[in-house]
Amino acid sequence: MRKNDVRAIVRNNAVTIMFVVLCIICMAYSGQSVAYVMYELFGRLSRNAFIVLALIIPIVAGMGINFAITIGAMAAQIAALWVIEWGVSGIGGFLLAMLITMPIAAFFGLLIGKLMNKMKGQEMIGGLILGYFANGLYQLLFLFIFGNLIPLNTPGLVIKGSTGVANTIDLSTARGFKYALDGIWRVPFGEALYICCGVIAVVLVVLMLMKKLARVKSLIAIGALAAACLLYQIPAVAELFAMVNIPMVTFMVVGVLCLFNLGLMKTRIGQQFRAVGQNRTVANASGINVDRVRVIAIMISTVLAGWGQLIFVQNMGSFQTYGAHEQVGLYAGAAILVGGASIRRATNSQAMLGCILFHLLFIVAPAAGKNLFGDAAIGEYFRVFISYGVIALALVMHAWSGVQKKKPQNALREAAAKN
Amino acid sequence: MTPSKVKRIIAIVLAVAGVALIVLGALSLPKRGGEQGQQILDTLRIRTLLNATGDGVVESYVAIAKKDATAKAKEAGGGMAAIRDAVAKAEEETRAKYANATTDFSTLDTEALSQAVHAYESALSAYYASAAAAEQAYVDAHMEEARAAAEAERAAKLAAGEDVPEETEVTVDMSGFEATEEMQRLSAAADESYAAVGAALQEIYPVLDSGALDTLKGTISAIVFQSGDTFTVQYDRYIAAGSGAALSNATSAFLVRYADDLVYGGVALLVCALVVMFNELLVSKLGIPRVIIGLFFILLCFMSLWYDLSLSTLLSNTVVRMGMNSIMVLAMVPGIQCGISLNLGLPIGLVAGLIGGLMTIEMGIPGWGGFLFAILVGAVIAAVAGWLYAQLLNRLKGEEMSVTTYVGFSIVSLMCIAWLVLPFQSLKLRWPLGTGLRNTIGLDSTNFKHILDDLLAFNIGGFTVPTGLLLFMLLCCFLVWLFSRSKTGVAMQAVGNNPRFAEATGINVDKMRVIGTVLSTVLGAVGILVYSQSYGFMQLYTAPRQMGFIAASAILIGGASTSRCKISHVLIGTFLFQGVLTLGMPVANVLVPGSTISETLRILISNGIILYALTKSGGGSRA
Repeated sequence: MRKNDVRAIVRNNAVTIMFVVLCIICMAYSGQSVAYVMYELFGRLSRNAFIVLALIIPIVAGMGINFAITIGAMAAQIAALWVIEWGVSGIGGFLLAMLITMPIAAFFGLLIGKLMNKMKGQEMIGGLILGYFANGLYQLLFLFIFGNLIPLNTPGLVIKGSTGVANTIDLSTARGFKYALDGIWRVPFGEALYICCGVIAVVLVVLMLMKKLARVKSLIAIGALAAACLLYQIPAVAELFAMVNIPMVTFMVVGVLCLFNLGLMKTRIGQQFRAVGQNRTVANASGINVDRVRVIAIMISTVLAGWGQLIFVQNMGSFQTYGAHEQVGLYAGAAILVGGASIRRATNSQAMLGCILFHLLFIVAPAAGKNLFGDAAIGEYFRVFISYGVIALALVMHAWSGVQKKKPQNALREAAAKN
Repeated sequence: MTPSKVKRIIAIVLAVAGVALIVLGALSLPKRGGEQGQQILDTLRIRTLLNATGDGVVESYVAIAKKDATAKAKEAGGGMAAIRDAVAKAEEETRAKYANATTDFSTLDTEALSQAVHAYESALSAYYASAAAAEQAYVDAHMEEARAAAEAERAAKLAAGEDVPEETEVTVDMSGFEATEEMQRLSAAADESYAAVGAALQEIYPVLDSGALDTLKGTISAIVFQSGDTFTVQYDRYIAAGSGAALSNATSAFLVRYADDLVYGGVALLVCALVVMFNELLVSKLGIPRVIIGLFFILLCFMSLWYDLSLSTLLSNTVVRMGMNSIMVLAMVPGIQCGISLNLGLPIGLVAGLIGGLMTIEMGIPGWGGFLFAILVGAVIAAVAGWLYAQLLNRLKGEEMSVTTYVGFSIVSLMCIAWLVLPFQSLKLRWPLGTGLRNTIGLDSTNFKHILDDLLAFNIGGFTVPTGLLLFMLLCCFLVWLFSRSKTGVAMQAVGNNPRFAEATGINVDKMRVIGTVLSTVLGAVGILVYSQSYGFMQLYTAPRQMGFIAASAILIGGASTSRCKISHVLIGTFLFQGVLTLGMPVANVLVPGSTISETLRILISNGIILYALTKSGGGSRA
């Protein structure tokens, strides 16, 4: 019995465990200091976590990984372009970009949802190809409409002598909104840890006093927080995080999105997402407008992805006009799967864990490849292979379990037919 | 009025307009070579000439006025400053005097000039014809030499470890070219007739001296005749020079100039009329996307005619590109027939084919032996990989598309690592400095470059027929068709159409799917080799990733669905898709110079058609 349990755990989390092992191996061979890796990791987390979390709702609604979030990213880039053109900088510019992204992304989401309703069961491949298709339209827009038919006046956005918007859009100029969100409140890791632990502890105590949480549980949690703070007092541990600076507001936004995902599931529409995700036919029979629910799921996901891309862009300080959105779906999808999500089930914690592991590998793989094989390119290709491979593996495993589940049902049905 | 009536009326109006345009064009077209065309050109040419010489005349007057002013100022005993002022004033006055002076062309007697110009034109055209022939002969004589030099340069670059450029057009160095005797004679004759033109011009503008005529010579000869002139080129040149006012009947001249475009426009209108008339039939028979893409292709054909692009060259390129892509598209057929739907995991086969090609180059097997060896090795590897791949697919029936895509992607990126570490030694394949294989590996005459393209190839008026390539394409299509008629093939299609029914009739479903998948993968391997020999390069690393999509969209354009296809879909689809791409690029470059709009076009068409097929692949009606 015990043995079976262990086996089941290993089987259900095979990808995550494999990734942990890979990360450890690569870290060991990369020769990079832990402090540097941590610094890189928190930077990557702050800019990528949001967009990974944007994938959860469509998964719950049974539409698999929404590879069409690239289209949300395109909406964000359109908004970013115009905010720079109007010269609204800083946090005002960032908020304006979010505001503009919302209707555009929602509209795109509406169209994506409608199209996906025509290809039920093929949403993922459909979303992927839709992303490619939209990329063509995006190129038309940025090469032939912006800067030509609709003139842009900001220097640097259009390069003389070539058609269309410049290849790179720089946000670090006076007109841009680089670090608009990150720069509001940045603290060293230690402080961030204390603040974070403090806030969680207060919330726990309040919940406990309101008797919404079991006393023992919350005491254990508070103990764990205290232990973390104490552990940080050890100089060797503190040393590991010496380089890390936490952009508090960005992580708060990510936290708010986690709460949003949790809260939404408790509402009526959240229940409908879940019902549709479990079984469309049953949901339809119980009076849910399945198509509408699916469209709403995709719309929310697309808008969130757009905002996620804005967070990414403000952190990077510039973006490739024609390429920044292309890999968004791939990396976010691979990250969430690495965290143990499947294409039918995903939670906030899986998304966050996946994000950590996936980006950890991204940081250490090139250096490890260089040290192991004498060529950094091997590490580069390896991480691309891992991204695709993880998705392929998740799809295979899902399809496999689906086929296996169907078999006993078929046998039963046939037996019933015989009788 | 019912819609069908409206439709019929529109169609008839379009057809009538089309016929009218064709008749108008057809009537005007022969006039180009005839008397009227000659007259139009003459009028324009003389006017352009007079305008150009007129500018020279003004210069002459200015020079004379300056001289006079200097002389007068000297006589008056003024200093240097006074002379300078007087000269400047005289120049200004003279220029002002002639700035708005319009020559009254109607009073000029241009008869003599016209005849002189005629003689000059024929002398020039004889000279240019002779020069072109002599240059061609020189190029022909030295082509082998240049080719050998280019190969040697390439080899040297390879050995030195530099990147070999992809586009290598062999050009003959013309510095050694010397004018032939005939050319010299004709050139002298042209100079003589220019003297006659000069004399005629002096009669009209007596102020022109021989010095002015010498400076004008280049301008005049460029006006009268340039190498490669045709009616339209000359007409456009004269109109651009602003001589249109000379024409007494501008409309008829316009008709003659645009006669061919009128005919094209008329045919286009007729096509429109047919489409309007039979649109329902077309849409129901072919489906909306094929109608759109077909019409788009026809539109591009007309546009390339309209912009005077060489349609026959473009179509010839289309045929070559159709041949080089067709086998990869054909690889979709067994996949669809056996029920794994579009084989987006095609890169597995492509990679196998590339390995075969690499081994040929590594072992240095030349010519046909090398090509066949590459196909053999590629096919064997593809068969093994395809078998494994089929085992995977058999375990996940119904979810093939998304899985195959990502499996294909993973294999391509895994092979990216493999290209870096595989122990190939040949310097044609490796970077001499640094690790791994080159991104693009250039084939040359010692390998299998153009081995199918050049086989029995022949020319018909700018249209090169790559006979070997087409024959190979037809052979492969025939073999696949033959297979689909065999007992196994029929069983395989039964599996694809209805797996349950097939199983009930005792067909081994899994085995048939394995056969289809292996066949598709092997065809992919052959396909990439055919593609590479025609392209002249083998592309490694991420290049094969999107090729599965391109092949899939081609067969979908041809009329296949995700569960049904025929050989004709392969041929039609590849032709249309490649045709749109080949014609789209130059036309787009005319519309928006230097743009990548044709690449955007490819993305939109290829992904749009796959999306359309997905929405039609069923599953839509279920809640």
